[in-house]
Amino acid sequence: MFNFNNTPLAWKNLTHDWRRLIVAVAGIGFAVLLMFTQVGFQNALFDSQVKMIDDLQGDVFLVSRAKYTLAAEKRFPLELVNQARSASGVIGAYPLYTELTFSRLKSFGMGAPSKAFPIRSIGFRLDDPIFNSDRINSQLQKLRLPYAALLDVRSKRDNFPFPTESDEELAKVQAELADRKIVMVGTFDLGTDFAHDGNLAMSAENFAEYFPQRKQFGDPLSVVDLGLIHVGDKSQLMNIRDTIDQLLDDRVFVLTREQFRNQEIEFWDKSTPIGIIFTAGKIIGFIVGMVICYQVIYSDIADHMPEFATLKAMGYTTTYFLRLIVTEGVLLSFVGFIPGLIASTLLYALLADSTGLLLRMTPQAILMVLVLTVTMCIASGLLAVRKLLAADPANLF
Amino acid sequence: MTAFASLPATSGAYSQGPAVPKTIKVSQLNHYFGEGELRKQALHQNNLEVKRGEIVIMTGPSGSGKTTLLTLIGTLRTVQEGSLKVLGNELNGASRDEIVALRREMGFIFQAHNLFESLTAFQNVNMAAELADMERGLAKERIDYLLNRLGLGHRIHYKPKSLSGGQKQRVAIARGLVHSPKLVLADEPTAALDEHSGREVVTLFQELARDEGCTIIMVTHDNRILDVADRIVNMVDGYIRSDVAVHETSVICEFLRQFPLFSDLSTSTLTDIADKMMVQEAVAGDVIIRQGDPGELFYLIRSGQVDVIIDEDGAANKVAELGEGQYFGEAALLRDEPRNATIVARSKAVFYTLGKADFKDVLSRSKTFVDELRSVLASRT
Repeated sequence: MFNFNNTPLAWKNLTHDWRRLIVAVAGIGFAVLLMFTQVGFQNALFDSQVKMIDDLQGDVFLVSRAKYTLAAEKRFPLELVNQARSASGVIGAYPLYTELTFSRLKSFGMGAPSKAFPIRSIGFRLDDPIFNSDRINSQLQKLRLPYAALLDVRSKRDNFPFPTESDEELAKVQAELADRKIVMVGTFDLGTDFAHDGNLAMSAENFAEYFPQRKQFGDPLSVVDLGLIHVGDKSQLMNIRDTIDQLLDDRVFVLTREQFRNQEIEFWDKSTPIGIIFTAGKIIGFIVGMVICYQVIYSDIADHMPEFATLKAMGYTTTYFLRLIVTEGVLLSFVGFIPGLIASTLLYALLADSTGLLLRMTPQAILMVLVLTVTMCIASGLLAVRKLLAADPANLF
Repeated sequence: MTAFASLPATSGAYSQGPAVPKTIKVSQLNHYFGEGELRKQALHQNNLEVKRGEIVIMTGPSGSGKTTLLTLIGTLRTVQEGSLKVLGNELNGASRDEIVALRREMGFIFQAHNLFESLTAFQNVNMAAELADMERGLAKERIDYLLNRLGLGHRIHYKPKSLSGGQKQRVAIARGLVHSPKLVLADEPTAALDEHSGREVVTLFQELARDEGCTIIMVTHDNRILDVADRIVNMVDGYIRSDVAVHETSVICEFLRQFPLFSDLSTSTLTDIADKMMVQEAVAGDVIIRQGDPGELFYLIRSGQVDVIIDEDGAANKVAELGEGQYFGEAALLRDEPRNATIVARSKAVFYTLGKADFKDVLSRSKTFVDELRSVLASRT
């Protein structure tokens, strides 16, 4: 396809007029940036939906069959967690409690809103290995006190204006959770998502005190939201998952971390408009890039019609011209992609810094945008090539 | 006896015998532009033969169809009616692949240089060399040679932006010639050039025609280069008005000048006579004219030999042998008498013939103004 021995006409024509090249690179780079922004935000938003899963320890998760997303408060009996512990290969199974409906936090600090806002409360048994975060695990002693809880530093500022910079200041703030006094003894770092504007972490005992309504009759801790299971031999993960699945009844899904994560992302991608919105964003970026690329290639062709007609008269074939334009498209996509990638990386860093979103430049995202860019440039080249094929050497004499 | 009454002597078709290969053969070619009621005929019944190695200059006012004919020969337009053979290929109904293959054997030099601004002079020329799959070293050698010959040795790696109009045109000429084309089609190739470089270009054309057998067809209004033409084709309103082989015409003129009655005619009158002569061919033993027949034609021997036989009282006596450049048949025309001898071809021969009416017309013009004045003055006394 590319004959390097021959005069590199595509490259020469592209780089001859550096003003036009800069415009082209800027335009395509902008389209690349648009696409990267969409991909980045989409990935970041999906990542933040599963941030809690990523922060939890455990190899296999028990989830109620009715729980279509983490935010759906569908629970299952604690016995199932205990049963799972008896499966062979399992070295530990621990319950995790979350509450949103009754969990409303109100601050009485200076300038605080007079309203209580919903916040996710996460309850766990302090002796269980639940969180990956050292920041939480090093503050477990403080959580043993009544009314004690940790506040997520990334909780939405407008609703929860707590002085998270200093633990002492934070502990002094008067606040109520579900109309009961609460003392924020420290902070941790989890992050918000579509359903949750903030997080509190506390011991299971305190959790039970705040939310006795979780179960109408009986122990509020007898219904759990998630079961975290640790397996001994990670290489036998799938077999152990199958064993647990057989052991437990149909009330729960038994999912590996990967499956759980994918199920959650799939919900947001497919069952909400979010996936469509980002796909539309990517298509817009693609079209913008295509228009720019078409414009660049078309004007290159239009400016060189007599030259191309001369080549035709000399005996250059349609195949040659198609190759020429495809080559030009591929070259354009690469020279536009590289600055676009650099700009996107910088933008990611900037946005991650200011929004707290997890914007990461993953190899998959790079590959996807590159493929889109190359496709976009080749497609616009093929649209523009009709003009070239219409060049008539009979008009030259 | 074989007659070719339709073939003019000045076409040069027989100067080297009919065996010389034809690069181009146009017969009964018509071409039209437009559709329906707007359809306008641009070429009418064009006939033209161009031999290998000939340099043809096409002249004529603009709109005369010379450019149309050139684009048709160059495969840049589709042949509509008639036959057009280029380098042995019939273009009427030729396939796309045939046309592409044929284009690669041709060199095009357009009035505009059409160079890629992004490529250097060398690279522009190399675009043509690459297409011909020339070996890299050879291609480089030839490009260097051509650009040097055209006075661009010091500008080989310059881009068109830093070249003058004439220099760009010369690069375009090198591009048209680099792949040793068998046929070069050029449109005003010297228009943008000064006299010296224009001369250099046409000298190069002559060398290519002579050394590589390259046929060159040029449309030009540049009178400075008319001298290189082997053939001059004049077109008017879509018709080929004249198609003259320059060398052959000068040969005929020289022959005619040896005829005493024509010796005082000007070159332009002689050329007019040559234009009116037709080709006639004979093989050994053919009787060209017979004693006693009425005389209709004047003959000039282009090649071969003839015997002159006079029949006296039943006995045939050979009185003379005639060869190339000699003539016969004038006596019967001058005196309106029957033929006074029989002429038989000794070998394969070609004659150029002039009709009786044209012959007499010329003779009436051969009396110069001064002669006539003298006779007028003499008769006064």
